[in-house]
Amino acid sequence: MGLGGIGPGIGLGIGFSKAMEAIGRNPEASGTIFVPYILGLALTEAIGIYALVVSLIILFAS
Amino acid sequence: MVHVEIKAEELFAIGPLIVTNSMVGVLLASAVLLLAAWWFTRRSAVVPNRGQSLIELPIEFLAGVVRGTGGKRWRQFAPLILAIFLYVLVANWLSLLPGVGTIGLAEGEPGHEILVPFVRAGAADLNFTLGLALISFVAFIAFGLRANGLRGYLKELLIAEPAYMTPLLTPIHLISELSRVISLSMRLFGNVFAGEVLLATMLALTTATVFILPLAFVVPGIFLGLELLFGLVQALVFALLSMTYITLAIAEHRQHGPTDDHSGESPEQGAAPAHGSA
Repeated sequence: MGLGGIGPGIGLGIGFSKAMEAIGRNPEASGTIFVPYILGLALTEAIGIYALVVSLIILFAS
Repeated sequence: MVHVEIKAEELFAIGPLIVTNSMVGVLLASAVLLLAAWWFTRRSAVVPNRGQSLIELPIEFLAGVVRGTGGKRWRQFAPLILAIFLYVLVANWLSLLPGVGTIGLAEGEPGHEILVPFVRAGAADLNFTLGLALISFVAFIAFGLRANGLRGYLKELLIAEPAYMTPLLTPIHLISELSRVISLSMRLFGNVFAGEVLLATMLALTTATVFILPLAFVVPGIFLGLELLFGLVQALVFALLSMTYITLAIAEHRQHGPTDDHSGESPEQGAAPAHGSA
């Protein structure tokens, strides 16, 4: 679970910083950046969620 | 420590149909949506008043997103996307109401009773999210079939772009299509379930300090706000990912379209190697 949290954490940080950079360079494009940004974050976050689900199942499903 | 149950608990059975508490939660969400739909379309006007424009605001926002990225046929699948969004949103936010997951019957032997709540968050049960993901799966296959025809769809699915790569790429492609169902359902389930566990844990941690610091009134509130945001984001993500899959299924054929002459038919099988340079 801890290891599973590290990777998506780094990935989310990189994605967020790049999106902020892009909005900073081109503020009018924030509407078009938003949707792919949310999708990318969701796909990245899913990895962490997998680790969480597996660990919760190991913990509680007995 | 908090008690966590992965499965939805059974409440009662109607014949062979076992009613679980997450089914009650999902049915409540459906009832809320149906009532809202009936109430707000009862006297809807072309020029909306305040309440109607408040309700239409999120719908118009999402419809704008679908129109912006959905391509020419966005009107065909916009209702499905909007329905998924509203359903998941209402189910998520209903689960944050007080009483959901906390009012129930105590079961089990004396001394080791566990609480079986009457209502459980709908998306904290894998059955609900898996069902929604299967609806989305069937939808994007159906839209792909309708857009490309059976032959075009199978060709897209089974034959890779350079034809000699087919044995390597086709299994990967098939697995990636199937894994969309798993990833969609697991994402929503994991987020909502982890949110429930998080709220329960925060409450259990802070009630221990209730006589020293009034933390138990503040900290769960902060996380409740966080869960409000997560419910919205996860509903948005589920709807947007379904939309992306449908858009991909419709547009797959057109991505390599410019090399074809637009004869309207699916291109011949023998012409496949000619597309290798595209």
